[in-house]
Amino acid sequence: MNLEFEQSKTDVLILGAGGAGLFAALHASNLGPDLDITIAVKGLLGKCGCTRMVQGGYNAAMANEDSIERHFMDTIEGGKWLNNQDLAWTLVNEAPRRIRELENELGCFFDRNPDGSLHQKAFAGQTFDRTVHKGDLTGIEIINRLAEQVWSRGINRLEDHRAVEFIKSKDGSGLAGVLMIDMRTGKFRLVQAKAVLLATGGGPTMYTYHTPSGDKSCDGMAMSLRAGMPLRDMEMVQFHPTGLVAGPGTRITGTIIEEGLRGYGGYLLGGDKERFMHKYDAKVERATRDIVSRGMFSEMRNGNVGPNGGLFITMKHLDPKEVRSRFKGMVDRCRDCGFDLVSGDVEVVPTAHYMMGGVEFQNDCSTELPGLYAAGEDTGGVHGANRLGGNGVANSTVFGGIAGDAIAKWVPKEGVFREPDLDAAKAAIAAALYPFQIEGGHMPDIRKKLYGAMWEDAGILRDAKSLARARVAVDELHSELMRTGVADESRAYNLSWHDWLNLESQIIISKVVIEAAVVRKDSRGAHFREDFPEIHDLENSRFTKASLDNGKITITSEHVEFTRVRPGETLIDD
Amino acid sequence: MSNDLINVSIWRGGEDGEYQTYQVPRLESQTVLDVVTYIQRELDPSLSYRFACRVGVCGSCAMTVNGKARWTCRTHVSKVAEGGQLTLDPLNSMPRVKDLVVDMETFFNKWADAKGSFKGDKTRDDALAYISPDDPKRKISSAGIECIGCGACYATCDVIKWNPDYLGPAALNRAWTLVNDERDVTGLERLAAVAGDNGCLGCHSQQGCVERCPKSLNPTGAIAGLKRETIKAVLKGELS
Repeated sequence: MNLEFEQSKTDVLILGAGGAGLFAALHASNLGPDLDITIAVKGLLGKCGCTRMVQGGYNAAMANEDSIERHFMDTIEGGKWLNNQDLAWTLVNEAPRRIRELENELGCFFDRNPDGSLHQKAFAGQTFDRTVHKGDLTGIEIINRLAEQVWSRGINRLEDHRAVEFIKSKDGSGLAGVLMIDMRTGKFRLVQAKAVLLATGGGPTMYTYHTPSGDKSCDGMAMSLRAGMPLRDMEMVQFHPTGLVAGPGTRITGTIIEEGLRGYGGYLLGGDKERFMHKYDAKVERATRDIVSRGMFSEMRNGNVGPNGGLFITMKHLDPKEVRSRFKGMVDRCRDCGFDLVSGDVEVVPTAHYMMGGVEFQNDCSTELPGLYAAGEDTGGVHGANRLGGNGVANSTVFGGIAGDAIAKWVPKEGVFREPDLDAAKAAIAAALYPFQIEGGHMPDIRKKLYGAMWEDAGILRDAKSLARARVAVDELHSELMRTGVADESRAYNLSWHDWLNLESQIIISKVVIEAAVVRKDSRGAHFREDFPEIHDLENSRFTKASLDNGKITITSEHVEFTRVRPGETLIDD
Repeated sequence: MSNDLINVSIWRGGEDGEYQTYQVPRLESQTVLDVVTYIQRELDPSLSYRFACRVGVCGSCAMTVNGKARWTCRTHVSKVAEGGQLTLDPLNSMPRVKDLVVDMETFFNKWADAKGSFKGDKTRDDALAYISPDDPKRKISSAGIECIGCGACYATCDVIKWNPDYLGPAALNRAWTLVNDERDVTGLERLAAVAGDNGCLGCHSQQGCVERCPKSLNPTGAIAGLKRETIKAVLKGELS
């Protein structure tokens, strides 16, 4: 086997080009104009990741009547007291400044009231209308503005580059670089860096219905786990209630139509075209994402479904002109897919949306591995058991910026090019080339079975039995993947090879989700155990930590430290 | 040809290559992106294409579909497969990587060359500007702002085929949104960057970009605006 690789060096290597990665690059270049900064991305810069896909908006306590404390309490209550409170506090404190930076320094223009002041809209689970937005396609504005700043500043880009493995120094004392595949040539490249930012995004793309961008396959989390870093809160997978469903043959299935439709008064209907949410919650369609998703999943399990196995959202009882102007992006999208959002019923399903869990990290985005920083959806702790709509893009941009600042300060003082462990690099190359040694198998079958196992047994509703089934199924799929090969023709832009590597990451992280869900024997936030339907002992809340031990996933748990507020208390004065 | 099959010819290779033909089952709600996905997963694992968001937000998946540049994730087969035939090529005017994948670096660099990034005089510690959404300049800026950078306009533009240094519709459109952004202070520097034959004067108003923009933007109108502003600046003696 040919284990050759190219080598290059950069002061700062950023993995991922969503809100976290791009913000980190801009902040690092502001504070450290002499730093050589490189962004590596699995596709094209400005086009990958999920920040770009943000519809609803960005939570920030900007209004005089709102407060940081109120945003904080909403975030903690929403997270069911599982959050790392110091991280959540940093999030809510920095968010307004980040919005001002996006507008004043980077050129975003968010929606205004007629008098020219900032418009902030209502989002589920929040006690104040604090969601800053640009129509219903906020992410395009944010990522376009960030990407064009990066293009204009001479920051290096490695596009179509996939990260494969963190390579530590020979003595294991710190990170030396990242092994990557240049997807255009299929060649390996070891990029040495003094500091690396992990900002690839998580992305629960192992479920039948999922929202994230196709480039997301949990690679960053899988690499972190293999590098010995624990992942926290991995049982916490958020499902968004309204994903489009247009059959299994189209990639559009699973993509979201936005939350604001329900907020504005949209109805959810069963296959019988009757409303059903009153059976599950007094707030009916406006209940939080987790509650609505569970209600929908129950209806689906009872067979009250439409032609594609989903339910319906309808806006037809509302003013068509208003619907058309408020939700232009969604109306256009549905029309292109053959659905009429203004006067028809659009078939929808709950869809896997976001992973609250991820790599443990500090307030300055450092991790326990010297030289490695992390920000965005790859990390855990900010959101606890559930993320508020509008806190996702706040998370990636707030912590991305903090990471850039911290790296720019750290590199001149302590950053060195560590001597990489070349044997580890070669072992990682051999592992990545494994599928070329195998013949036979059919990858699409594995993908389909993984989707089904996670959706049915480790998704919106879980219990001990279903999780045991999921564990067996995913273990078997891992074996099947190892018996499935990729034809060794051209390695240049070989999507089937990358599909294989994607599946490997998704399977590893699926196992982590399952094992963490087995251990959490209560129901809170996004995690619902039908055999333990109550929330248990908030005062003694513990969070799960997954690590990889000789190829086996082990779960431990730790007490949540209530550093700012205890259950039953509040920081709000009035 | 059966009604439930589509005949798909796809460019295979780089600058040199040939068409390869596949038969793909016709499905409901099927997009052109779904067709290439099916081929790569079920018929020919070596086929290369690029996509990310799959829902019309990222602009990664544009290709030439039966001769026209389109976003493939939101293009239904039923709207474009004339006589059950699809011919797919990579986007024009961009270097080919492999099969349907192109290198968009020059396209992005031209965005920077057109001074297509914001420069303000306020900071993150200042309040946001009060700007009415009905302010006439803001309305002009907002009308062109939702570009997803898919490159369909650029690949369609005839001027770029004759003059590879031409900045192109997307970059010039972004420059125009900034000219109308009252918070931006780049001013004449931007007008200088977009003047001349590689800039707005190069446009022949063929409107291919307008016709092909999946977001219904109007780059030709934006470029006409830039022409007016640069000519005004020349007459005032601010630009040479």
